[in-house]
Amino acid sequence: MAEQNNTPVATEKIKKMLERKKDKTKLSLRMCAHCTLCAESCFLFMTRGKDPKYMPSYKFINSIGKLYKKKGEVDRATLEEIGDIVWNDCVLCTRCYCPLGIDIPDMIALARSICRTQGVYRQYDK
Amino acid sequence: MVKAERKPLEEIKDSIKRYKRILTVGCGGCVSVCLVGGQKEVNLLNAELNVSFKADNSPKQIDGYTVERQCNAQYLEELDYMVDNYDCILSMACGAGVQHLAERFPGKPVFPGVNTVAIGIDKDIGMYEERCRACGECVLAYTAGICPVTRCAKGLFNGPCGGTNSGKCEVSDDIPCAWYEIYNRLEKQGRLEDIMNIRPPMQWQNTTLRTIIQEPYKERYAKEE
Ligand code: SF4
Ligand code: SF4
Ligand code: SF4
Repeated sequence: MAEQNNTPVATEKIKKMLERKKDKTKLSLRMCAHCTLCAESCFLFMTRGKDPKYMPSYKFINSIGKLYKKKGEVDRATLEEIGDIVWNDCVLCTRCYCPLGIDIPDMIALARSICRTQGVYRQYDK
Repeated sequence: MVKAERKPLEEIKDSIKRYKRILTVGCGGCVSVCLVGGQKEVNLLNAELNVSFKADNSPKQIDGYTVERQCNAQYLEELDYMVDNYDCILSMACGAGVQHLAERFPGKPVFPGVNTVAIGIDKDIGMYEERCRACGECVLAYTAGICPVTRCAKGLFNGPCGGTNSGKCEVSDDIPCAWYEIYNRLEKQGRLEDIMNIRPPMQWQNTTLRTIIQEPYKERYAKEE
C-alpha cells in the first residue's frame, strides 16, 4: 500500500488535523447507532459478498474512529492498517447513506488526508 | 479515466518563475491512476524543481499536498487552510481540476503541471491509449464500438473516405483506418445496415460549457433554479 517509509509518525500534525474537524468527528462517532442501515448503500459491500468489513460504518469507525480515540498517537503499522481500509475497501464514491445524517465519506476522506501527510497512500504502480 | 502527461520541467518552471512560495497540489483520482499527478508524482516533481531552482541560484519554497479529487469541492476544503501561505498553486490534476482550483482561489494564480490528453484505457502499468473525446453524442452504437471521433483522422461519421488504403489511413501507414475496422466488425456481427444510412454531421457542442444532469435529478435541479 504505502511507500517504504521508516520515518517516525508526526503525531503533532495528526493531532492538528483531527482538531480541525473535532466536533464533526466526535459527533459522527457518537451518533453511529450501529444499525447497519448504511451497509446496503455501499456498492462494495453489495458486490463483495456482504462482507462486514465493507460496511461504511465499519470503515469509518476503524479509520478515523481509531485515530480519534488514540488522539493521533498511532504507530506506522496502525497507519498502514488504516490506509488499507480507506483505500482498498472504499473508493470514496460518496454514495453511502446514513439515516442519521453522518457524513461517512467526509470522515473516511479525513482519514485518507491524515494518512497522506504521513506518506501512507495508495500506489498505483505496485 | 482521464489520462494526462507531465508537462516539461522547463515549461512548469517558466510558469511559476515569478513566485517564491509554491504549493503543488496533487489529485488522488484519475491522474494518480495514470501515474502522473498523485502524491508520489508531486513529491518527485517538487524534488526536481528544488534541485533545478537551486542550480539556477534562485531557491524557492515548494511544498506539496494531495487531495482526493480536485473535481469535487468537498475535497478542496482542506486547501482553504493553507493557500494563504503560498504565492501560487501548481495543480497536477486534469484541466477540470486545475479550473476548479482556480475558481475556488480566484486571488491565486493556478498553473497546470500536466497536459490532459484523453479519456483512455489502461494498456499496462504506465501505458494508456485514448478511446474517447467526450464529444457528447456517442455514436458507438452504429460504429461497432469503435469511436470515429477519436480514431478516424477526419472524425468522419460516414466513412470510410477515399483515402482508406488496404486497412490503413491515408495520413500514415502506421495508423489503421477506423472505418475499415468499423466495417469489418459490423460485417462480422451481421449488421452492416447500421452504416448504410447517412448520418447527420455532429452538432459540435464542445465550444460551450456543458453541464450534465442525470435524468432522475432533473426535477430537483429545475426546482433550485
Ligand atoms: S464512499 Fe466508500 S463506504 Fe461510502 S458507498 Fe462509496 S465505497 Fe462505500
Ligand atoms: S480532478 Fe481530474 S484527474 Fe482528478 S479525479 Fe477529477 S477528473 Fe480525475
Ligand atoms: S463518439 Fe467517440 S468521442 Fe464521442 S462519446 Fe463516443 S467514444 Fe467518446
